[in-house]
Amino acid sequence: MNEKTASATSGAMHLMSEANVQSRAPTLWELRQIEAAPKSKSRLAADRAVAALPLVMGVLVIAQYKKAPNAGNAVATDTYAYFIALLASAVLAMLVASFFSKKAYARLLEKAPLYTAGFLLFALYDYATLKTGILPLPYFPWPDRILNGIYEDRALLLDCIKNSLILLFSGYFAGVAAGLATGLSSGLSARVRYWVMPLIQILGPIPSTTWLPIILIVASSLFGGSVFLIALGVWYPVTMSSMTGVLNIPKVNFEVARTLGASRARMLFKVALPAAMPNIFQGLTQGMSVACTALMVAEMMGVESGLGWYINWQRGWAEFAKMYGAVIVICITFTVVNFALKLIKRRVLRWQEERAD
Amino acid sequence: MSGRGGHIEIKNVSKIFARPDLNSTLVALEGVDMEVRPSEFISIVGTSGCGKSTLLRIIAGLEAATFGGVFCDGEPILRANPKRGLVFQENSLFPWLTVRGNIAFGLHATGKYRENAGLADRLISLVGLSEFANSYPHQLSGGMRQRVSLIRALAVSPDVLLLDEPLGALDSFTRMNIQDELLKLWRENGNTMILITHDVDEAIYLSGRIYIMSPRPGRISGEITLPMSYPRNRSSSDFVEVRNRILKKLNFAREEREDYNL
Ligand SMILES: Nc1ncnc2c1ncn2[C@@H]1O[C@H](COP(=O)(O)OP(=O)(O)O)[C@@H](O)[C@H]1O
Ligand SMILES: [Mg+2]
Repeated sequence: MNEKTASATSGAMHLMSEANVQSRAPTLWELRQIEAAPKSKSRLAADRAVAALPLVMGVLVIAQYKKAPNAGNAVATDTYAYFIALLASAVLAMLVASFFSKKAYARLLEKAPLYTAGFLLFALYDYATLKTGILPLPYFPWPDRILNGIYEDRALLLDCIKNSLILLFSGYFAGVAAGLATGLSSGLSARVRYWVMPLIQILGPIPSTTWLPIILIVASSLFGGSVFLIALGVWYPVTMSSMTGVLNIPKVNFEVARTLGASRARMLFKVALPAAMPNIFQGLTQGMSVACTALMVAEMMGVESGLGWYINWQRGWAEFAKMYGAVIVICITFTVVNFALKLIKRRVLRWQEERAD
Repeated sequence: MSGRGGHIEIKNVSKIFARPDLNSTLVALEGVDMEVRPSEFISIVGTSGCGKSTLLRIIAGLEAATFGGVFCDGEPILRANPKRGLVFQENSLFPWLTVRGNIAFGLHATGKYRENAGLADRLISLVGLSEFANSYPHQLSGGMRQRVSLIRALAVSPDVLLLDEPLGALDSFTRMNIQDELLKLWRENGNTMILITHDVDEAIYLSGRIYIMSPRPGRISGEITLPMSYPRNRSSSDFVEVRNRILKKLNFAREEREDYNL
């Protein structure tokens, strides 16, 4: 018996060492370093220069803004200068970090041309508007005006962001819940699928915003109507993706669960749901973009709050700077929301084999 | 041996599959009779396609026999039950659960998790995978995955363990190691073991009795009882002689099939 135990553990040892070799293997980053051809001295110096380029460009943008004369009697504040200075100091921080970490340096090198181009774009736009007036007011306010517009309305904008997010997530979560319910149940049951499929085929192709005029009349509250509108838009992709997800689950997963004594509820929540997650997240991502569109349409057409309403309202006053400002705020808000969704996805799907994105 | 193994009886079982795409039917099993006594370790060998998996799935309760009766401890088998654990050939772990999560799944499902605190970790260290308790299946080698499948099925203490070519996809070193672990687990727990394998040596090394199946239609064509004691020597004359007998029977089964084709 002791002999047996010994040979069994030695078998395990054999396998463990095999895996240890794997975990000690170079990371992707290290492998790139090993594989990279050695660079010449002049090339290394050129790299250093490229890394410093964004900072130089940022300083130039500020210098142009402060020193070059403005067209006509245009007035400009320091807000824009501070803003560029903020971006430039971020670049500076990266530059400093690059002296201490090879990884940070590589990252800066990779992004440097992009950042430089970004600053250049600012310089060109500033030149074309504030400095020369080639692009005329009121359609082309210079960045300083836009930034001041955002700053002036900051309280209102924050309130709008809050209202937009409340509406967005109310609709989104309602749609996700409904979509998961129909999608999972029709994935699991042929009878449910029989009744749900025609509904999906009829409702699916209709953009959810089509219903807006009807909802505006029928809904007892605009908020409720808009939640419904957004939820409807989210429901479709989430239903489709979760149904496909469940239908594609290898049968063996359910069979194993059955032989281990899983109840129907456990089969649904602990097998079907997690197994379908990769697909479901496709629907969640797609649903989020539909929800953002529906949110904007709803706010521009009816709901009297939120960023969509704000931009429309400023149009009434011909406040172009503030309209552009709203566009920027909307962009940032949605970027943050989508980034958060991506983080959640990465966390939930961490069991998947890493794929090169 | 604690002797709490299950008693399996298979009486004149036939399984006929519908083949809707070909508008026909396929006889996978015909008139199979088999009895496995409590705490017995038996193997089923046969060429691929002769219905071994089908038979095992019927015993597991995942598939219903078309004709005949299947009984566990005297009661007809109607559906899957954690009393009868099943280990599949490969890649049957839940990919979204860690090693520990996979093993705990059955404990949660059968409501035994609380009273068996620490059992999952004990089983994991028993097969030498403690370091990998928090790893996901795709991070393991094939041998590790099969070890996990094995202890996942064992965690709910089944009376009968059904093994469908569990080591078929592994290299021979790993296979021999796990065979020893399997023997050890069986001798400690006394489950009834039904092993399907296409490796005749594996069958002889592990089991007390071997059923030989022949294909088209799948049926039992031979039965060999092995009186040798454990552990068995793979190169002993007894071992070699039994191997030759089985190979002869398997060959005979194949020739017979060729006769049918003529
Ligand atoms: N679900 C099924 N539907 C139709 N035919 C099946 C099904 N499962 C197995 N078969 C057929 O039954 C026969 C026996 O299969 P199987 O039990 O998997 O054989 P083995 O495990 O011995 O290789 C094969 O010819 C196979 O094609
Ligand atoms: Mg098989």
